[in-house]
Amino acid sequence: MNENKIMRIFKRILYDYIYIPLKILSKDKRALFGLIVLIIYILMSIIGPIFVPLSLEPNMEERYQPPSWKHPLGTDFAGRDIFAQIVNGGRDILIAAFLAGFVTIGLGTIIGLIAGYIGGKVDIIVTTLIDIFLTIPGFPLLMIIATWLLQSGITVNILMIAFLLSITSWAGLARSVRSQVLSIKQEPFIEVDKCLGLSKFHIIFKEILPNAMPYIAINFMLSSVSAVYSYTGLMALGLIPYTPGNWGAMIHMAQAYVGTITGAGCWYILAPSLVIIILQVSLVFLSNGIDKIFNPRLREW
Amino acid sequence: MPNPLLKTENISKIFEVGSMFGAKKHIKAVENVSIEIGENEILALVGESGCGKSTLGKLMLALLRQDSGRILYYLNNGYKDIWSLKGEEFKEYRRNAQLIPQDPYTTINPMRNVLSALTPPLLHYKIAKNRKEARKMAAELLTMVGLVPPEDFFKRYSCRLSGGQLQRIAIARAISVKPKFIVADEAVSMLDASLRIEILDLLLNLKKKIKTAYLFITHDLAIARYFARDQRIAIMYLGNIVEIGKTEEIIQNPLHPYTKVLLMSVPIPDPKIARSRGLPKLKSLEIPSLVNPPPGCKFHTRCPYAEKICEEKVPELREVKGRLVACHLL
Amino acid sequence: MRWIVKRLLMALLTIYVVITITFFLIRFMPGDFVEMMVYYYMTTYGMSEFEAREMVYGLYGVELKDPLWLQYIKYMITLLHGSWGESYISHQPVLKSLLYGLPWTIFLLSISLTISFIIGIGIGILMAYRRGGVFDNAASVITSISRATPNFILGLLLLYFFAIYYPIFPARSSYDISIKPGFTIEFISSVLYHSFLPMMAYVLTSFGGWALAMRGSAIRVLGEDYIVAAEARGLKSSRISRTYVGRNALLPLFTSFAIHLGYMFGGSVFIETYFAYNGIGQIIGLALSWRDYPLIQGGFLLITSAVVISNFIADLLYGLLDPRIRRGGMYE
Repeated sequence: MNENKIMRIFKRILYDYIYIPLKILSKDKRALFGLIVLIIYILMSIIGPIFVPLSLEPNMEERYQPPSWKHPLGTDFAGRDIFAQIVNGGRDILIAAFLAGFVTIGLGTIIGLIAGYIGGKVDIIVTTLIDIFLTIPGFPLLMIIATWLLQSGITVNILMIAFLLSITSWAGLARSVRSQVLSIKQEPFIEVDKCLGLSKFHIIFKEILPNAMPYIAINFMLSSVSAVYSYTGLMALGLIPYTPGNWGAMIHMAQAYVGTITGAGCWYILAPSLVIIILQVSLVFLSNGIDKIFNPRLREW
Repeated sequence: MPNPLLKTENISKIFEVGSMFGAKKHIKAVENVSIEIGENEILALVGESGCGKSTLGKLMLALLRQDSGRILYYLNNGYKDIWSLKGEEFKEYRRNAQLIPQDPYTTINPMRNVLSALTPPLLHYKIAKNRKEARKMAAELLTMVGLVPPEDFFKRYSCRLSGGQLQRIAIARAISVKPKFIVADEAVSMLDASLRIEILDLLLNLKKKIKTAYLFITHDLAIARYFARDQRIAIMYLGNIVEIGKTEEIIQNPLHPYTKVLLMSVPIPDPKIARSRGLPKLKSLEIPSLVNPPPGCKFHTRCPYAEKICEEKVPELREVKGRLVACHLL
Repeated sequence: MRWIVKRLLMALLTIYVVITITFFLIRFMPGDFVEMMVYYYMTTYGMSEFEAREMVYGLYGVELKDPLWLQYIKYMITLLHGSWGESYISHQPVLKSLLYGLPWTIFLLSISLTISFIIGIGIGILMAYRRGGVFDNAASVITSISRATPNFILGLLLLYFFAIYYPIFPARSSYDISIKPGFTIEFISSVLYHSFLPMMAYVLTSFGGWALAMRGSAIRVLGEDYIVAAEARGLKSSRISRTYVGRNALLPLFTSFAIHLGYMFGGSVFIETYFAYNGIGQIIGLALSWRDYPLIQGGFLLITSAVVISNFIADLLYGLLDPRIRRGGMYE
């Protein structure tokens, strides 16, 4: 490939995948806010720890200090800097959340496509499975699997946590992808495609899938929200091993020590709570705005 | 007709309808139909809604499978059942049997633009060697159907196009693989009246260029007459073909009672002539249900000339005065 | 009729799957589960190996000599008889301990659900009617925040700020222990006082979801032709919004009812622990920290059964309310 072609492809990617989505999002203030906040979080998790290293040495003299220049968010029950913990604690959560989001949409999409396109007995089995998983309360199921995992002695890495978190959320997307597939299968343009001899692969992935993309994209965001809830929740219950400084761990500790918090020490509760809430809110805002990127019909031009 | 392109032999199609609650009901959408379509000819298929004409079109395109009977395609100096074709032969048949659907707005994928609707078949059948060539050909196709300048249309989505433009794109898609046979299923029914003649003329012009045969499905007898003049027309009622022959002969001198009724129902602008024509003397205005069709000739419940034999025996298509009619009384 | 049977079968099938999951989770632990449990109980509770082994076998009915399928059947039978094992901590039968807490949790959750539902759909309909206006935008933000906030985090915040820092509300227990339970005003008001904060934790994090769902549903209904026809007929708009919009927009929301209930049950583990509220959540929370497996399993089974049953009831109600299903089947 010569240089011109590479430049052209690069420009096309830049235009189609970055410039246009940004332009679309910028019209929706809330979605834009969500995106900016998310980028800030990601940057903070990547480069923050370099500038604000975590020190876990207990320093009992400085317990529950109010915010100051030395400790921008005060100190915790053992005198450790809260700000450093916040900056360092996000990494695991963001990774787990987005990985879980990807696994969920991957599973959900494939299962939904299979059930919808193949139909027949396969469809009946899959639909029953989907209904069952939708009814079983997700978080309690996670709690029980997590206790099982903890006791079984398997070393838990972040990929496993992501899979675990998506066990309970794939079913919703599978159901909506399936119904999309079912409704599109009957459309005239699919019949024309068949007459034109286009392969099943083309029909499923290039014709049907784009119609389901808005659902998939939104579901990605919402699955990430759910994953953050489940991940921090499991940590707050002490069911998953965590690295100290992790926001969920902070909540767990804060709850344990809640009776002893004096004065300005409330920051130990407030800091992780607010940071988690803001992350969730920005993901929700983003999910509302993301519809327009994947659905050309909703665009204003 | 010597060596027709595609012929059906006694095909029937039954749909099952019914929920889990009651017994399943059967709808005989197409019953015992045998028609032929020759190369480069037009056969208009006329009938009221629900008579099974769309189903017949889809059967001939192998989009639905018939429950009995055969559909034969002329390939390599012989006829082959389309459902027995495999590999290259099937690909050959598929390429030559295309569809133009009724609703222009669902004829291309609303999530994809015009260019991506046109190029895949060109690349699939290797009519175009690469994307650049496919793009050029797509431009030519759009020009052929009257959408100029073509580049304006490439990036557009169906929501930004009018019905007429979308139907032209549908036509462009159908002719892109140079098929020998096109089924136009009510292709102009959802367009504004002013556009219809334009689209019909476009189809006729294209026929001269590409030499393709049309199965033109419609409920509008006037449109059928316009499109299929000097060609053939088939009249369908509740799943049966009741009359089939040369267009002008049928229009001037309808033989089957149902055809007569259809002709009398075409609105005539001049009130004087309309009044003098009168209304068809139907026995009953109720259209029989498809689930429980009347025995014998299906039209006998409404036919003003019906006799006892019509209630008992199903009439067969017989040759009368140079065309085929299914009526006991001729 | 058949439709009810189908739903019932699904509910039973779901519970069956849950029981199977819990069964396999124990039996298929990698590593030698029994050994680990024995070790754990030995080290944590200072038992001798013999005692520990006895206990573990007794707790799980782990008849390792039996083939797997026999273990499975025995497990199902004991469950169905209502003997769900014994809690290690209290040596009480699991089911009995759980059922002590169930009424409190149901009390809390049902009132919270009702309140958040009513507030939510009220806001939702208003948002739909004033679509695009100031109220819609402001409410969008607020409901999104409500939806995004994890219920346990709000619970912790409420606990700290309103029960400890500014002790307006009590921080412990579901009622003042010094008051004798009974239908006295004293007792009832104490119960309500103690349940206020936990309820707020649920309500404030749930109403947003209902509001947004209702808004979407109502917008769709408002666009329908029959609404325009009703307006053209001159019906009062309050009547239209109640009878036409309200009912039609509410119907789809029934399906998310059970999912929401599941979410609340999940959160109850935290919230009841934080507020020391004597419900199932607190029991399960304690069981989790003590690794009291029979109790944990039993709790999970009970919660799931509760959710499945309420889902079934919601489906039934939906079937009764939606005339399309009531009359049954396809159109002729």
